[in-house]
Amino acid sequence: MANLTGSNPSCSEVINSIQDHLPALYFTFSRGKTELLADELGREWDFLLHSEKTRVKEIIGEAEKAQPGLFGTRRAKLKQILAQGIAYHHAGLSPAIKDLVERLYEARLIYVLFCTETFAVGVNFPAASTVFESCRKWDGREFRGLMNREFFQMAGRAGRRGFDPVGMVYSRIDDRFPEQTGFYSEDDIEPVRGRLTISPNTVLSLLYWKTDEEINLYLEKNLAVYQNNRESWKIKRELGELEKRLAEIGGTFCREVDTGSCYMLRSKLKKELRSLSRKNKRERPGTGDRRDEIRKLLKIQQKRCNHRACSDARRKQFDMLERKSRIERRIRVLGSHSRDYEREFNGVWDMLEDMSYVKGRKLLPRGIFALHLHVEEILVTELVFNGFIRDMPPAQVAAVLAGVDYVPGRDDFVEPGPYDLREIDLLRKSLLRSGIPENFCVWSSLPGSLAAAWYEGASFEKLLSMTNLQEGDVFSTIRREIDLLRQIERAAGEDVELRRQMENIRRVLDRDEIAIPGI
Amino acid sequence: MTIKVKRRPRRKDAGQAAPQGPFRLDPFQEEAIRELTEGHNLLVAAPTGTGKTLIADMLIEKVLAGGRSIVYTSPIKALSNQKYRDFAQKFGKESVGLITGDVSVNDRAPLLVMTTEIFRNWCFANPEMLDQTTHVIFDELHFLDDLERGTAWEESIIFAPAHIRVVGLSATVPNIRELSSWIADVRNQEVKVIIEKRRAVPLDLYWISAQGETYNEPGAREYIRQRMEMRKGRWAGSHNDSAELV
Repeated sequence: MANLTGSNPSCSEVINSIQDHLPALYFTFSRGKTELLADELGREWDFLLHSEKTRVKEIIGEAEKAQPGLFGTRRAKLKQILAQGIAYHHAGLSPAIKDLVERLYEARLIYVLFCTETFAVGVNFPAASTVFESCRKWDGREFRGLMNREFFQMAGRAGRRGFDPVGMVYSRIDDRFPEQTGFYSEDDIEPVRGRLTISPNTVLSLLYWKTDEEINLYLEKNLAVYQNNRESWKIKRELGELEKRLAEIGGTFCREVDTGSCYMLRSKLKKELRSLSRKNKRERPGTGDRRDEIRKLLKIQQKRCNHRACSDARRKQFDMLERKSRIERRIRVLGSHSRDYEREFNGVWDMLEDMSYVKGRKLLPRGIFALHLHVEEILVTELVFNGFIRDMPPAQVAAVLAGVDYVPGRDDFVEPGPYDLREIDLLRKSLLRSGIPENFCVWSSLPGSLAAAWYEGASFEKLLSMTNLQEGDVFSTIRREIDLLRQIERAAGEDVELRRQMENIRRVLDRDEIAIPGI
Repeated sequence: MTIKVKRRPRRKDAGQAAPQGPFRLDPFQEEAIRELTEGHNLLVAAPTGTGKTLIADMLIEKVLAGGRSIVYTSPIKALSNQKYRDFAQKFGKESVGLITGDVSVNDRAPLLVMTTEIFRNWCFANPEMLDQTTHVIFDELHFLDDLERGTAWEESIIFAPAHIRVVGLSATVPNIRELSSWIADVRNQEVKVIIEKRRAVPLDLYWISAQGETYNEPGAREYIRQRMEMRKGRWAGSHNDSAELV
């Protein structure tokens, strides 16, 4: 019957094959897909006994009593399939729904849970089996195969201690793309690499709180540098040994190597001669001379020797030389990166000096302010110091700050609100023009009207009607704004007026569906 | 309209936990507790679900019983909230605090659940808040490799006050010893390593074909090879057909 995604095998067939190993966590790498597959399975399958259905309904009833309209119209379908032992779980869901699904799962009332990668981080929800709809994911830049580390983080949820003798892990072979099937081994798990990046806040924090010695420790002994040094130490040692062996092998040739009596040179020359006598080369200028020269050399008597040993040695020598040049190239690369952090640090420091955040090692008022900000610290500091925040009505401030560090998805849509945010865009553009890197002033006007409406008392349903963003996205956007408001409160310090202004907005935002349940 | 009867799974009478016998620690857990009791920094690399959490729980219990403080950092914010609720249940609400940037509850408690970012900020701005803290636990330490968030882990490890012992819990990674020698180098302290390779429940890997058949790895590779060949053949075939049409 209906196979909505049109792929073979359908998830219904997959579940049919593994029905002796439920519950299953069915991993996919898009939110939409979890919902689509859950619907598809729900059309054909029902996993619950009557008594289990009754319990599911009870638990749902309680959750709905705690939060009326929990499912709304958006999640009506989910409510329906929960009664069949099927569910989905992804970051677009509201925390209350996620919590409900997690509790039902723990109560063993969900037999197939379609989920995304985040379900496998942290709290352990084990299953009898894990299924991979595909082994490729979008990582924000490109579609790529899962790494071994990622695969086993998820796969490892299979096998419940005390229940299952083994955990079953299934990967679908998609009939349309069989070549994309993933094969993984725990022996090939990727090493952890240092990924330090230097932000304006890091530079300010180091300058303000740390000694020169500590700053050097940071720049010269961070993990990336440590790994870089270790690798270059290792390959330099290999290079030393290689050079020794090359010298040794050089000594194995006789004194007549590569002279006219040497077998190796002679066979090379013979080959050349053959190639030069081909029609297309014969006519070229110089060819005749070269042929004469070679013929003359070949007239010399060939030495009677064990030339096979020499040819073997030559081959080895060639391989070693190739390895050597590869190592030398790598040493050059490592060397050119060894000062990266110092350069990056100095680059950000210079920028902060140009923008009057610091003077030498001393922090100026902007710098002191930015010291307490941990997200888009330059942009936010400029917003405050250029008077945008202070002079705006609170709902508009809420709108502006919601957009900080927000990167809209391609199809994200939010109804624009009554507040004009063009000024912010102008400020941002002028910062970019003055040479501030793009990643230090990430801002979007998109979520602004949601935050403003929430500040002005709109219901969560109302917010959802203004946008195609999902509940979880609206929630996390405003939670992140609350985080930012707290940072600005700390940064405001003695500036009581600014602090109160931020605190007021924060308290209004932190309510109802946006508040953290149970804390 | 006909009402379609839905498919139901075969149901085994599983669902009952096998008797586990009296509760006992695995050898690697015992070893971890021993190293921690002796006051060492410690990295534990073990597959998911093998009971790293238990090591954290026992350490927390010990530290709290001794009247000192401990910090637990979690890789993601949603998890911090969950961990906070877990710990509140285990150790009592008054012993646990939660600080995640947008939430701050009971921030003077002896057991603090934090995001790694907050711990990093404290290491810079208010290390005196950590005077009573004996340990920091980094759960899922392999997040060091995260492009966006790894920096917070690294700055935390480099700048955590010197009296604090670092405890890193990680999934299986091949270079855990390299990480430990880095931490030893940058913190100028010895770091012990415990590696557990065995899973509590072993994994069996299978592949499922379009026909719903289950294969092991060699079988799956052979199946894929055949599909690819068939597809190539079909392509070549249709090519010939079109040539004939011309």
